[in-house]
Amino acid sequence: MPINDNHNALADWQSEGVRATLKLTGHFNAHTLGGLWSTTRNDQTVWLSSNGASCQLSIDLAQVSYLDGAGIAFIIDLKHAQEAAGGSLTLLNLDKRYEPLINQYQPVKNLFPTDESDHHDSTNLIERVGKGMYELAEDAKLQTVFVGQIASSIGWAIRYPRQVRWNDFINVAVEAGVAALPIVSLVAFLIGVILAFQSAIGLKQFGAETFVANLVSLSIFRELGPLMTAILLAGRSSAAFAAEIGTMTVNNEVDALVTGGIDPIRFLVLPRMLAGLLVAPILSLFSDLIGVFAASLTMLAYQIPFVTFYEAVLKTIHVNDIMSGLTKSLLFGLIIAGVGCLRGMQTGTGAAAVGLSATRAVVSSLILIVVVDGLFAYISYKTGF
Amino acid sequence: MTTSPTATAENMIEVKDLTVGYGSNIVLQNLNFSVKRGEVFVILGGSGCGKSSLLKNMIGLYDPPKGSVLIEGQDIVTAAGTERQNILTRFGVMYQQGALFGSMSLLENVRLFLEEYTQLSEDEMSLIARCKLDLVGLLPFEAFMPSEISGGMQKRAAIARAMALDPDILFLDEPSAGLDPITSAELDQTILSISRNLGITFVVVTHELPSIYTIADRIIMLDKDTKGIIAEGDPRWLREHSDNPQVRRFFNRGADVAPESDNLKLATLPA
Repeated sequence: MPINDNHNALADWQSEGVRATLKLTGHFNAHTLGGLWSTTRNDQTVWLSSNGASCQLSIDLAQVSYLDGAGIAFIIDLKHAQEAAGGSLTLLNLDKRYEPLINQYQPVKNLFPTDESDHHDSTNLIERVGKGMYELAEDAKLQTVFVGQIASSIGWAIRYPRQVRWNDFINVAVEAGVAALPIVSLVAFLIGVILAFQSAIGLKQFGAETFVANLVSLSIFRELGPLMTAILLAGRSSAAFAAEIGTMTVNNEVDALVTGGIDPIRFLVLPRMLAGLLVAPILSLFSDLIGVFAASLTMLAYQIPFVTFYEAVLKTIHVNDIMSGLTKSLLFGLIIAGVGCLRGMQTGTGAAAVGLSATRAVVSSLILIVVVDGLFAYISYKTGF
Repeated sequence: MTTSPTATAENMIEVKDLTVGYGSNIVLQNLNFSVKRGEVFVILGGSGCGKSSLLKNMIGLYDPPKGSVLIEGQDIVTAAGTERQNILTRFGVMYQQGALFGSMSLLENVRLFLEEYTQLSEDEMSLIARCKLDLVGLLPFEAFMPSEISGGMQKRAAIARAMALDPDILFLDEPSAGLDPITSAELDQTILSISRNLGITFVVVTHELPSIYTIADRIIMLDKDTKGIIAEGDPRWLREHSDNPQVRRFFNRGADVAPESDNLKLATLPA
């Protein structure tokens, strides 16, 4: 957005053979130089290319009322172009106060980087793929180590339950569990309604609307309840854990724990893991009930009374189905809390790193949730659990 | 309040009846002072006396409960819209922690405000940005990200960014804290050179005595207890002539301590 600047700057370019004069008039700053800089440089380039190495440029600064950093950069640019072409530059009538400002950039070629001086090397495709694979392997190694650390700290918690930070555990459980109830209810209710309607549309063609209860309740208890809850938890809590621990890492709080002799896994990760283990199955069960209830309400529209629906559900759902869903939820809870904490601990430096950790936590959690769900489906198919 | 004799010059910033604080927590009250064009003005005071809060009020980040801050005659407290935008482009600010944008290289950090406010080409903006980075000795690090350089370097980069648009006024919050003495002295020379050659006005919050003696034309010293200014003027004059023991203690690094000071209490603690 341009700002109001009442000042003006003029540059008058005159060239004759190998000699050229640039007469500058007015106030030279970053605002007044817009356009004028490029035009002058173009004039200079054309003149230099047609006259070769012995070009002499004189800049007359007698009419310059003010020259700020941008104005000085402009003169330096002209000087550099002269030097690069083998020509020379003379500054006429330069106010004494600007001399040190121009002379402090010696040699000016340092201000014009060459390609070799780039800090970040450009890499080719093979290098990038190799680097990516290496990072993937490193990440897998870190995750394995992290799983080991968590297992050891859970063992420690069982041996010394009084030393676990139960206050933190309760706070996290309330934040990740109780505070998630409204959103879990809403999503579960809508999923129940949608599932019931969609199933009813298909089954009505065969006059089999009564089987909606069996279909929907089985889908919700075994699959959709745990999965939807896990996805919501990954979005809410995994990202929150990663951002929270990530910010602590950025602020050196995690380093302070380590140098103070406190294991950050026990201090930060363990309460979150335990909270994840507790709230995921509870929320999942809650979401199952809401989903089935929503489906039963929906079926009233198809003249299937509540009692009929309820009896069909009782006939279809066995304890195994509920346990299968809850076991999955337990694993999902572990994944969500673990991945969130791991990504938080891996945070680099700066605000951007915290955002990146939160994103990576959600993405990794979702991928792992789907993978574990797939494995579970296979195990269920083979064992009937 | 001790005040040293000062020369009269045009006021760049005028602070009138300014009260600094949040809600019922008043940190400073009824402050009146002015910063003259082209001078290096330093704000001093003990920890927690409200130096940084005062600075944030002066640059329009906080709305003070009472008072006005005139920057070249325009009140930043009441200004809105384009008027406020115009005031904001007249000054640059270097924050205590640097506050560089973590996702951008140093060059991009310095160039950002040029991109936003000028019509220059990319190469032209880059050259200006490189000049600023060279001024603070960071030209070789232009492609580095803020997280890849040290805290002191981040501060210097933040000064370069504050100077991007060559503002009339530069506000620096603790510029030399965290820098080694040589770099700090070089930075002082840079500040002096910019101030003397370009006539830029500096408002600096700092504790560093060598820095204060080198750069400051005038200072004000704030006090937590009286919630006001306890000294104003030339630091060298105040060091010798102030009748306020607290001011003398500050300038002499606590050398002429009063008998009831903390140092004495520590000395008499049982072994």
